[in-house]
Amino acid sequence: MPEPKVTEQSSSPAASSVRYENATKRYGGSAEPAVEGLSLEVPAGEVCVLVGPSGCGKTTAMRLVNRTVELTEGDVKIGEESVRERDPARLRREIGYVIQQVGLFPHRTIAENIATVPSLLGWKKERIRARADELLELIGLEAELAGRYPAQLSGGQQQRVGVARALAADPQVMLMDEPFGAIDPINRERLQNEFLRLQAEIRKTILFVTHDIDEAIKMGDRIAVMRKGGKVAQYATPAELLMAPADEFVEDFVGADRALKRLALMRVADIDLWEAPLAHVGQATAEVRAKLEGAEVPYPLLVDSERRPLGWLSQRDLAAETVPAQPDSPLGPLLDRDDVMRDALADLLQGEAQYAAVTDHGGRIAGVLSVEIISEFLGSPQAKREEHGAGERPR
Amino acid sequence: MTNGAAALALPLAKVGEVGESFFHHRTSETLPCQAQSSHLFCFDWAKENIDSFATPTQQHLELVLFSIFAGFVVAMALALLAHRRRWLQAPLLAITGVIYTVPSIAFFFLLLPVTGLGRDTVIIALSAYTLQIIYRNAIAGLANVPAAAKDAARGMGLTETQILWRVELPLATPEIVAGLRVATVSTVALATFAVFVNAGGLGVKIYGGGNLTFPTSIIIAGGIAMLMAGAFHMALVGIERYATPWRRAAAA
Repeated sequence: MPEPKVTEQSSSPAASSVRYENATKRYGGSAEPAVEGLSLEVPAGEVCVLVGPSGCGKTTAMRLVNRTVELTEGDVKIGEESVRERDPARLRREIGYVIQQVGLFPHRTIAENIATVPSLLGWKKERIRARADELLELIGLEAELAGRYPAQLSGGQQQRVGVARALAADPQVMLMDEPFGAIDPINRERLQNEFLRLQAEIRKTILFVTHDIDEAIKMGDRIAVMRKGGKVAQYATPAELLMAPADEFVEDFVGADRALKRLALMRVADIDLWEAPLAHVGQATAEVRAKLEGAEVPYPLLVDSERRPLGWLSQRDLAAETVPAQPDSPLGPLLDRDDVMRDALADLLQGEAQYAAVTDHGGRIAGVLSVEIISEFLGSPQAKREEHGAGERPR
Repeated sequence: MTNGAAALALPLAKVGEVGESFFHHRTSETLPCQAQSSHLFCFDWAKENIDSFATPTQQHLELVLFSIFAGFVVAMALALLAHRRRWLQAPLLAITGVIYTVPSIAFFFLLLPVTGLGRDTVIIALSAYTLQIIYRNAIAGLANVPAAAKDAARGMGLTETQILWRVELPLATPEIVAGLRVATVSTVALATFAVFVNAGGLGVKIYGGGNLTFPTSIIIAGGIAMLMAGAFHMALVGIERYATPWRRAAAA
């Protein structure tokens, strides 16, 4: 069962709620407002994804927060303070800003890029350097990259630096406009996962804009589905959105594969895994064959003395006297208990495997996941119960 | 000086014939190789007269430096103005373009009634010629600054002035310096015309001898001008490399 999310923000006190109060943006010469009467609150430390088709005003809505787009009517409050009261440049220095094209300064080194806002705030040199080192470590880049220029980094590395630069002065709020939109699918998934891990640590209040509903479901604590004219069609948790779309527009936007999308809300650990008969190197095959009788998984899994999986044993392996050190079949996809279920299914399909070993944090075998388990889960009454019971997405 | 302008038209047309009446009376100089006019280069004469090139070279250098400095300041001011007020870009490009098309000698003579013979006329004309190239390149350089870098800069709380000085101008440096390079090289060449308004320079040694059939002086003066242009070119390439370390890093 998905566990309710941990909500205390003790790890980072520097997060404020963001509240839209009837916020409206009208551009001169345009009859339709870009954003109309937007009212929603993002609690401190949560990720709110603004999602919708292009031209729905999601980016405009996000930009109202740091006044890169000015309000026509209404208000946006960070904590209790209205952004209207603030000097735009000073306000922006307190808000992290990440955009799709990253926008690193090509003529500044990585360290200098990260130091942008701290320099504007007049931090001392040593403090800036220490902060840059700390952030490089946080985003998993080697310290030696600090002196490089952006053009010397890969796209994924650049986007990580973009995130580090936005975090440099420990902002209360982060605005992220399709931050992973320009990254190839494989690296995008990696960056998303990294960012979720990072966010679990830093607990910023984040407004995240995307047009990709799958990304929204994966990244958001709450999702605001927007429609043209900057109106919110539904503001809900990902689970609520998938189970009870407010209207036809949301249902269409969320897509027909809602059941499949629910897998994005689950971890492998949330489901009952199968048990495979375990075999050790040198063990008599007769013993192993005996275990196969009535086992959930019809193949024995070879594990080492620490119960770490090594590979699958084939009929040929079992024909020998003892279990060989080199199993006939490679291990195939190896999953972690914390993997998102949708990714796990993708790994299974991609590996053209029926079964995948699932390990715990120590790399020890925790069970076996199969396509069959997942399809059974999606169709089972248990899944239906889950639909109504789950309020929050698992973390 | 207005009648001077009329008189000046002559040496242009028939500079060989009117040597006597030209500004620089150099007929007293002996031309040892004159007997054989087929001689392209007279080493004896060159050895004897090489010192006489020092002052024109220095004058030439000064004309170029002053003109480029003035032209750069004005062109950059125009470029920054047009950067803030986009509607000015096209008209300013047209105006500097028209100036660029005025034949250089005609420009000198048009200025004569106002500024008279001498350096001022040359510096005004030559700096005016640099406007088009420097302005156009600066505008192009500023336009080429990645929009994402500017968006990020604004979003992080840089003011417009900070964006200009810390992001836009550094990133436009290659184009700006390239414009400066082209402008400087052409100014070195154009400054040889300064002699026609009595402002000295290497032109004295090219047109000033009153004898265009004696090529030695022309070759030396022309050579010095080419070396000067080359030196400016190299210096500006060096400055650009030094000022834009990120471009080398990206290429590596």
